[in-house]
Formats: sequence, structure tokens, C-alpha cells
Amino acid sequence: MATTALFFVFAGLAIACAISMVYHKNPLYSAISLIGVFVSLSVLYVTLAAPFIAAVQILIYAGAIMVLVVFVIMLLNMEEDKPLNRLRYLYAIGGGLGLILLVQTFFVFYAVMRAPKQAVNTEETIGKTMSIGTAMYTEYLLPVEIVGILLLMAIIGGVILVRKLSQPQMESMVERELERRHEGEDKDDYRIAL
Amino acid sequence: MNTILLQNLVNPNVNLPIVLPEMIVALTGVIVMLYDSFVPRQRSVTGAISLIGLAISAFFLVSMWNDAPQTGWNGMIASDGLRLSFTIVFLLVSAVTILISSVWADNEDVPIGEYHALLLFATFGMMFMASGNDLVIIFLGLETLSIATYVMAGLRRGDLKSNESAMKYFILGSFASAFLLYGMALIYGATGSTNITEIALKVANPNFPALLLVGGAMMIVGFGFKVATVPFHVWTPDVYEGAPTPVTAFMAVGSKSAAFASFLRVFVLGFPLIAGVQASEFLHESWVTALSVMAILTMTVGNIAAILQDNVKRMLAYSSIAHAGYAMVGFIGAGMAKNMQQRDAAIAAVAFYMLTYAVTNLGAFAIVTLLGQKNDRRTAFEDYNGIGFRAPALAFTLSLFMLSLLGLPLTAGFMGKVMVFRPALEANNLLLTVMVIAAAVNTAISAYYYLRLIVVMFFRERTTDWLAPRIPTALTAALLITVLGVLYFGIFSDGVIEKFSKSSVGTVFKAGTRP
Repeated sequence: MATTALFFVFAGLAIACAISMVYHKNPLYSAISLIGVFVSLSVLYVTLAAPFIAAVQILIYAGAIMVLVVFVIMLLNMEEDKPLNRLRYLYAIGGGLGLILLVQTFFVFYAVMRAPKQAVNTEETIGKTMSIGTAMYTEYLLPVEIVGILLLMAIIGGVILVRKLSQPQMESMVERELERRHEGEDKDDYRIAL
Repeated sequence: MNTILLQNLVNPNVNLPIVLPEMIVALTGVIVMLYDSFVPRQRSVTGAISLIGLAISAFFLVSMWNDAPQTGWNGMIASDGLRLSFTIVFLLVSAVTILISSVWADNEDVPIGEYHALLLFATFGMMFMASGNDLVIIFLGLETLSIATYVMAGLRRGDLKSNESAMKYFILGSFASAFLLYGMALIYGATGSTNITEIALKVANPNFPALLLVGGAMMIVGFGFKVATVPFHVWTPDVYEGAPTPVTAFMAVGSKSAAFASFLRVFVLGFPLIAGVQASEFLHESWVTALSVMAILTMTVGNIAAILQDNVKRMLAYSSIAHAGYAMVGFIGAGMAKNMQQRDAAIAAVAFYMLTYAVTNLGAFAIVTLLGQKNDRRTAFEDYNGIGFRAPALAFTLSLFMLSLLGLPLTAGFMGKVMVFRPALEANNLLLTVMVIAAAVNTAISAYYYLRLIVVMFFRERTTDWLAPRIPTALTAALLITVLGVLYFGIFSDGVIEKFSKSSVGTVFKAGTRP
């Protein structure tokens, strides 16, 4: 009973925060609303007997990543977001597709409710830190190794992309820019995406 | 309570020989990176190390060819016909891309050591996409490939178009990956397993049939994005145009065939038709119908949009969309196969199609790289005006590739098309027959823009001065490989197809046609 009440409180909070994140035009408010989403989700994870994921959610998403996001927003000193009038016609399409997605979601809920109840194994301890640790180094040894390569590569990629431009690259950039201005190509060439 | 008993632990079932080709490629990537950090910018040395690594990996892969289909790592890795044939295509693509990149590295200031390392790690990801028999492995392979290509697309950092390309690909690609991951989560919820063999067993009696359908639909979105099918193709022309041409070649061929390998494994082997079981029949019919409609749209939109382009790279981008549609014809043929032999033959046909498409397209992009000069400035159709008789070797080779893309008999493209259309026709299904007819009509439409490039090269007058570029040695090697490939696969295709037609892991198959 208490779990159900907690679920409704925090699920509602998560949805409210998500709406507020999309609604606010100030990026900082959006970022803070997103933190609210992450925290409410992590409470839901606790009620689902997954304390490890709940802790990781707080530490990594609400903690590390959001701090980074807030720093970037403050450093870039962004102006308030202005709506793109040029793409206004897309709102209708987006709204229609969103509606279809919503109907689909309700259909899934309905179908799952109607499906015969599955026996839940109460002994299951999948969400515990220890079971995650043992699974990672036994059953899922290979995926963990692949993630190692993935992270190594992501570091290399990040380093390449943020390194200072070298002299020849700078020169070629200037040269291209001059060429572009010379040819007078600065009209917007938004091609119709087929 | 909190003690772990040894007998309770799952044995990881370590089977190093089965992932040896992947391990060699990753190791080569690390060696290249370390070498580059001590002796930077030695493009011939890091290139040579990469090529040797790929060759060793290919050697071990070929030595596994005659083994029976097997699985390792608790069924996470499958070594079967699908894996072997697609992986050899990836290794070829990677090697030829390294050869093509030498022109780019000569003309511009490229961080070449890192580029080679990224390319090898991307290949590593692609190999796991073909060999992964578990949704976890497939997703990790796909992410490894994607992150490497996001970075490679933006390597020309001084160029706004390259930045735009990387940014677009990154944002849309992450979005598609999220769809794929959500689909995988729902499939796990519906079947209780991420292992594809077990999913196939559970499809007959899933926990939640509705979740299976929604999960399948989301995975179609994710994979559809990676293979660039309509309506998930919008990113393709901009990304292909902005990325450095060798990277475009790699994305157009490598990423596409890797995504096809996973797509085939998840849908054909994971969601089979089990006759007489309603849940399985409904799921199977849904995905076959959805993919058939997508295939027809993909071919048509790709070809018609390609006609309208005036930039060779954009034209090739739309042509790559159309080719994804042709490959999907064989894919759906594999899904509709009536017995295991037919199914494995159809999978081999798709792999062979990707091989023919790889040699042809890599060759075409090699020439576009050379003619594009520094920063890919010369990639419009008018830049190809009248070069035919001033650089006959390049022009004739490019014409050969265009004819192969079109599917002219005696070229690889023709045999590839024949092989993928055959299983779809053998299915004797109205929708599939319509699809093959659409493919044939589209082949005729595509003649317009492939031949247009040849006409432009040979029959237009050139008003500006133009000197034929010197063809560097590495590019000569790449062109030699691709030209020989186009001719060899076009004329002596039987041997290759026979080699590719090995049985797949995934035994769930009950003969029977849908009522």
C-alpha cells in the first residue's frame, strides 16, 4: 500500500518535472527540472528493489552529469530560447505523432494488464549490488570487456575533437571562408529534406 | 547471507578462440595508438600496422571457416555463416578504407594515428555486431561503431560542413540508439532473455505479446536508422556530404552492412515463424509487412531523390539509401524462407550483396576522394565535366563502378541483385512479388543518374583548366582490389556464395507456410 502511494507520488512528480523541463525557456530551469526527474526516478527504483541502480542514478545522472550540464549552461551564458517560426508547420506533425505514440502506450498498458499474471520470484535479488557485481564478472564478462574498448575509444574521440586546431587547419578554414564569401554563397541553402 | 558460494556463480564459459579475430583487431588499434603517441604522424607506418592486423584477423577468421556452427560465452557469441561472411566483408571494407584515406592524409592535416585507431575500433564494433548472439553484445558493438563514426565524420574540424555532419549524425544517431535500446528492453520484458536463441524459443509463448510487438517496432526504428531506410534516412545525404570522403565510404558500406548483420540476426533468427502458433505468426507477419513497405519506399525515394542531386557525394548517398532497399528484399526473402536451407541461402545472398556493394562503392568513393582535391572542394557534377579523355584510367574505372551500381550483367552489382531478388521471388507471396517488381522498376530509374555521371565525364566540354591528378600507390592498390572484386564477383560468384552459405545458429524453425 505504501509502495503504491509512493509510486503515484513520485511518478507524478517525475512527469510534472519532465513537463516543466520542456516548458521552461530558460535552460537553467530546464536543467534543474531534469534533476527532479532523475531523483523521482531513483525513488521508484528503490521501491522496485533495485538500490544499486537508484544510487547510480543519483550519483551519475543527478550528480555528475547534471553538474556538468549546469556548468556548461552557465559558462556559455545562453540567451533565452526563441521559438523557430520557420519550422512552425512541424509542430502539427510532431503533435500528431506524439498522439499516436500516446495511444500506442495506452494500448500496451491495456494489453499487459489483460495478459495472464506472471509469477514473480520474490527470491530474486537482481537489483542488489552484489548480484550485479557477480553477474558483471561472471556471466557478462565479455560485455564488460567490450565496454572497456568502447570507453577507451570514446576518450580518444573526445581528445581529437577538443584539441586546438593546428596552423594549417586554421589557414584552410580561413581560406575556405574567404572563398565562400567571394562566391557570394551566403544565402541559406536549406534543401528540402526528402 | 552476503557470501558468494562458488557453485552459485555462473561460469562465463570463456572461449577465446571464438573471439580471436575481434581481439586481434582491438589489439592492433591499441598498438597503433601507442605507436602514434611515441612517433606521431607516421601515416604509412600506422597504416601498415593496421593492414597487417586486419590481415592476421582475416587469416584466423578464414581458418574458422570449416568449423561447425558454434556458440561461446554462454551463447553470447555465435560463429556461423552469418558471422563469418559478414565479418570478412567488414575486414575488407576497413582495409580498403585505410588505403583510400592515404590521399586525404596527404592533402590535409589529419590526426592520422588516431584516425587509424578509431577505424580499427569501429571495425571491432562491427565484428561484434555480426557475431553477437545476444542483444547486449549487439548493442555494445553498435555503440562502439557509432561513436567512432561520429568522431570520424567530424575529423575535418576546420570545415563547417564536416562539423555539421558530425553533429547531425551524433544527435540523430543517439536518438536512434535510444529507440533500439528501449526496444531491446521491451523484448527482454516480453521474453525474459536477451539471448537471441532463447528469444526465438520464447516467441511462441511470450510473457507479454504486446511488448514483443512494440519492442520489435522500436528495434526496426533503431536498425532502420543505421541502414538508412526510408523514413529514417533524412540524415544520410547531409552526413555523407559533409564527412571526409574516405569516412563517407566507410559509413556507407561498413556501418550499413554491420547494421544489416545484426538486423538479420535479430529479426530472421530471433523472430522466426513457428507455424500454428498465433503469437509467433502475428509477430512474423507484422515485421515482414512493415519491412516490405519500408523496402519499397526506400528504393523509390532513394532513386528519385538521387536524380535531383547535383553533387556526386549526395548522389551516392541517395544511391546508398536505394541499395539498402535492394538488400532488404533479400532480407525479407530470408524471413519468408520455407526451410532452413533456403533461409541460410538468403542470408548468404544478403552478405554477398553487401560484399558486391562494398567493392563497388569503395571504388567509387576512392575516385571521388582523389578528384575532390583538398577539403573535398570538387564534388559537384560539373567538376567531372569532360575529364573522360584527360584521365582515361580514372574515368573508365569510375564508369565501371557506376555500371556495377546500376547492376549491369558481368559486374558484381548484377550478381548481387540477382541473388537477393531470388529468395523473395521463391517465397511466392504477393507482397514480396510486388516488392521485387518495384526493385526492378527502380533499377531502371537508377540508370538515369548513374549513366549521367558517365555522360558528364565523356561527353561534356570542360571550360576550365584541369590537370589529371597523380594516382598515389595506396590508391592504385585500392582501385586494383575493387576493380578486380567487381569483375571477379560478377563473373565467378558461385564459389563465393557457396562459401557464404553456411548454416546459422538458431535452430527454431518449423516448416510451414502462412495460411
